[in-house]
Amino acid sequence: MKKIFFYLFLVSLMSYFSYHLTIYYIPKTVYGVFHYKMEKNQNLQDNEIKHLDVPNHKSRDVVMPNPDFLYSVCFYDLSKGDLNLTGTMPDSTYWSVSFYKPNTINWYVKNDKEFNTNQLDIKLSLLNRKKENTLKSPEKNGLMIIRILVEKKDQKSLDYFKSLQKSIVIK
Amino acid sequence: MKKLIENKLILVPILIIISFFIGAFIAISSINSSTQNNEFSIKNGNWIVNPKMDLQNNYQRAYISRIGVFALDEKEALYFLSSKDSKGRILSSKYDYEIIGTPLAGRYWSYTLYGEDYFLVKNKINTFSVNKENFEENHSIMISSSKKKINWLPSGNEKQFYITLRLYNPSKEVNSNLESLELPIIKRIEK
Repeated sequence: MKKIFFYLFLVSLMSYFSYHLTIYYIPKTVYGVFHYKMEKNQNLQDNEIKHLDVPNHKSRDVVMPNPDFLYSVCFYDLSKGDLNLTGTMPDSTYWSVSFYKPNTINWYVKNDKEFNTNQLDIKLSLLNRKKENTLKSPEKNGLMIIRILVEKKDQKSLDYFKSLQKSIVIK
Repeated sequence: MKKLIENKLILVPILIIISFFIGAFIAISSINSSTQNNEFSIKNGNWIVNPKMDLQNNYQRAYISRIGVFALDEKEALYFLSSKDSKGRILSSKYDYEIIGTPLAGRYWSYTLYGEDYFLVKNKINTFSVNKENFEENHSIMISSSKKKINWLPSGNEKQFYITLRLYNPSKEVNSNLESLELPIIKRIEK
């Protein structure tokens, strides 16, 4: 009888640890799967930027995409040094730049109105450089997402916003 | 069986493996069921919204990564989610729905449908949202699998779907009255 109680205790204890371990790793796994999918399906390497089309029903890399956004994504790795993000952004619609940790926490977001310019110029660093346009990343790896709102989906509007999207580069 | 219980060297590793799967299964099931009902969402009618999520909390972070990974904070965007109509019935393509209400104060808003798997609903006209720009005023938004003339949000062929109302740069009034805010009604139209 004592042995059965011991085994029950063991199962409860191990299930408890496994439960918390799973909860802890779900966001990291979701991030990892997204990273893998982007590498495999979009041929996206670290420190490269990928300009994606407006999502549709075939977009299955990440849940609940906004079909009104042109997304640009980059998995950054600062182990080899700082990165510079530049580009010309729209001046007539919502756009934002956001950064995420590998555990999916959004550590930075700024939109067009807060930038006060349509010229994007951000330096991403691991060091605290104390310069106005420099961001200190909390971790050496992470994800950057740029969102550009495309309210009208006619070809002319799409072509215009896509041409601006292409101007965004990371070096 | 008795021999197995006696033999710790075999039984203990087996139990550890089983326990690992039990824990993982409970965790994943718990997160999946949280998408319908959880303590940390604000409920307003049949809508739920998750502002000020404590992303340092592992459970809440896991929940967000399941239904809205890489979402923005509440200052930037609010995400109202509903899986039920105004009478608490699950949303399904078998029925038509009318969204009745006035747009919320914010810079930009949109309604989008997602299937049971949280991906965009497949439809013939490749229209996935009704938003501030393409919305025709003085008409309700119609959710239906069959064609509608105005403000049509196609529901495709989904056993169950979700409606997301996004509000970018919401006004302070909206952000501070999420529980009492008058949100749109999702009315099922009996065929």
